[in-house]
Amino acid sequence: MTLIDRTRAITGKRQVLWTLVVRDLRVRYSRSVLGYVWTILDPLLMSSIYFFVFSFLFKRGNVGHDPYILFLVIGLLSWQWFTGCLTGTSGALLSDAKLVRSTSLPREIWVVRVVIAKGIEYVLSLPVLAVFTLFYVVQGKGHLNVGLLLMPVGLVMQFVLLIGLGLLLAPITTLVTDVARLIPLAVRILFYTTPVLYSGDIIPHPYDRIVWLNPMTGVLEMLRAGFFNQPVHSGPILVGAVVTVALLFIGATTFGRLERSVLKEI
Amino acid sequence: MSTVISVDDLGIEFYRSRRRRMSMREMLFHRRTTHSTDTFWALRNIDFEVKQGEAVGLVGGNGCGKSTLLKMIAGVLLPDEGAVSVTQGVAPLIELTGGFVGDLSGRDNVYLTAGLHGMAKEEIDERFDSIVDFAGAQVRASLDTPFRHFSSGMQVRLGFAVVTTLNEPIILVDEVLAVGDKAFREKCYQRMESLLEDGRTLFLVSHSEHDLKRFITRGLYLRSGELAMDGPVEDVLERYNADAAGAGS
Repeated sequence: MTLIDRTRAITGKRQVLWTLVVRDLRVRYSRSVLGYVWTILDPLLMSSIYFFVFSFLFKRGNVGHDPYILFLVIGLLSWQWFTGCLTGTSGALLSDAKLVRSTSLPREIWVVRVVIAKGIEYVLSLPVLAVFTLFYVVQGKGHLNVGLLLMPVGLVMQFVLLIGLGLLLAPITTLVTDVARLIPLAVRILFYTTPVLYSGDIIPHPYDRIVWLNPMTGVLEMLRAGFFNQPVHSGPILVGAVVTVALLFIGATTFGRLERSVLKEI
Repeated sequence: MSTVISVDDLGIEFYRSRRRRMSMREMLFHRRTTHSTDTFWALRNIDFEVKQGEAVGLVGGNGCGKSTLLKMIAGVLLPDEGAVSVTQGVAPLIELTGGFVGDLSGRDNVYLTAGLHGMAKEEIDERFDSIVDFAGAQVRASLDTPFRHFSSGMQVRLGFAVVTTLNEPIILVDEVLAVGDKAFREKCYQRMESLLEDGRTLFLVSHSEHDLKRFITRGLYLRSGELAMDGPVEDVLERYNADAAGAGS
C-alpha cells in the first residue's frame, strides 16, 4: 500500500519536517513587527465586518447561530487555515524549488509542512475564540456543551482534507501554470458556498445535500457543535468524512504519478 | 569493499522543449496542447557500481547528462527506466546555498540547513564552532545578521562548510569542489583530501582536469547520454581529450 509506505517515509523524517515547520513560522514572524497580531487580525476584522453587514444593515437575526459573532469567529478562523493552505500548498514545490532540487526527502514533505505550519498558526489563534466564548459565558449567553468533543475530530478531518487537497494541487500547479491563478478564484467561490457566514440550515432542502459534498461543511459543523444551543447534523459530517478520505487517496495517487515530471520541471 | 552506489540500466527521458508546462486555455479550446511531445533520452543504458572509499569522476562534454546522473544518485530526480540504489547517506554539494533563507540570521541558517540534511540538534551544537571557523572570520563576525546581507562569497563559504561537515559517507560534488577566494579554495581542497582519507566515497562531476587528477582514481566518460568508458582516470581523460580534439578539428 503506497499511502502507508509514504506516510512511513515521512514520519521517518519527522525531525526534518519539524525543522521546516519551525523555519516557516520563524520566517513568518521574524519578517513583521506585528507578527502574531497579523494571524488574528484578519479573521477578527472580517468577523466584525460580516457582523456589521448582516446584523446591523440587513437585520437578519437568523443567518447563523446565536451569538452570531462567535459563530463567525469559529468559521473564519478555520477558513483562514483552509485558504492559507490551499494557496500555500499549491505553490509549495515551486516556491522552494531550490530546496526540493537539493534534498532527497520524500517530496510529500513540502506539502505536509505547509499544512502543519498553517495548522499551528490556527491553534495559536484559538485563544481569540476562548476570549469570545468566555465573554458570552460570563454574560449568560454561552451554550458550551458536550459537543465540544467533536472539535478535535473536526480539526483532524480538516487536517486530512488539507493534506489531500495539497497533494493534488501541488504537482498540478507546477505542471499547469494557469492553475495558480484559478485557485484564489475557486477559494472565493468556495467561501460563499460553504456555510462559513451562514448556517447550513438556511439552505433550502434539496440543495443542502450538495453543500454536504464539501467536506468543510462537515468540519465547521463539528467545530461549532460545542458552542451553540443547536442540533448537530450528522449528514454533512459523514458525507464530508467520505469525501475527505477519497480526496486523500486521489491526492496521494496524483502526487505519486506526477512526481517524476514535476522534478524534471522545477 | 562493499558496493555503495549501484546504477542499473538507468535511463531518463526529457522533453525537447524546455518547458513542458501546459496552458489551460489550449487544453480547453483546442482539446490538445501545443507543447512539444518530442522527447529524448538524456541518459540511457547506464550501468556501473561504486565501491566504498572509491573516488569516481564523471567527465564529458556539456549536455551529456553528467549533472542529471548526479542528481539521480542524489535522489532529487527519478529515473524513467532502471534503478539507482544508494546504500549509505549522501552529502550533496549540488546547490550549496539551496536551503538557506535570506531573512534568517547566519546562525539560524546553519541549524536549518544541517537539520534539513538530517543532523540532530546536539550534533550541530557540537560542530557549530568548527563550521563557522571553517567559513572564516568574516562569517563569524556577521553570524547574527540576516543571511541575505552576506556577500555571495560568504554565502557559498558557509554553505560549503555546512555540507562538508555532514557525517555522510558519500559525497556528491557538482563543479563546486572549491568556492570563494584563493585562500579559501585551498582550504576546500584540504577539506576534500581529509574527507577522502577518512574513507568517504567521492563522486565528482568536473570539467577541471586539475581537480580530477588530484582527487579521482576512476573515471566514467559519458558521451551523448551513454557510458562510453569506465576506467583509470588518466585513460578516461586521454580518451575524452582525444574525442574533444577530434570534434574540434
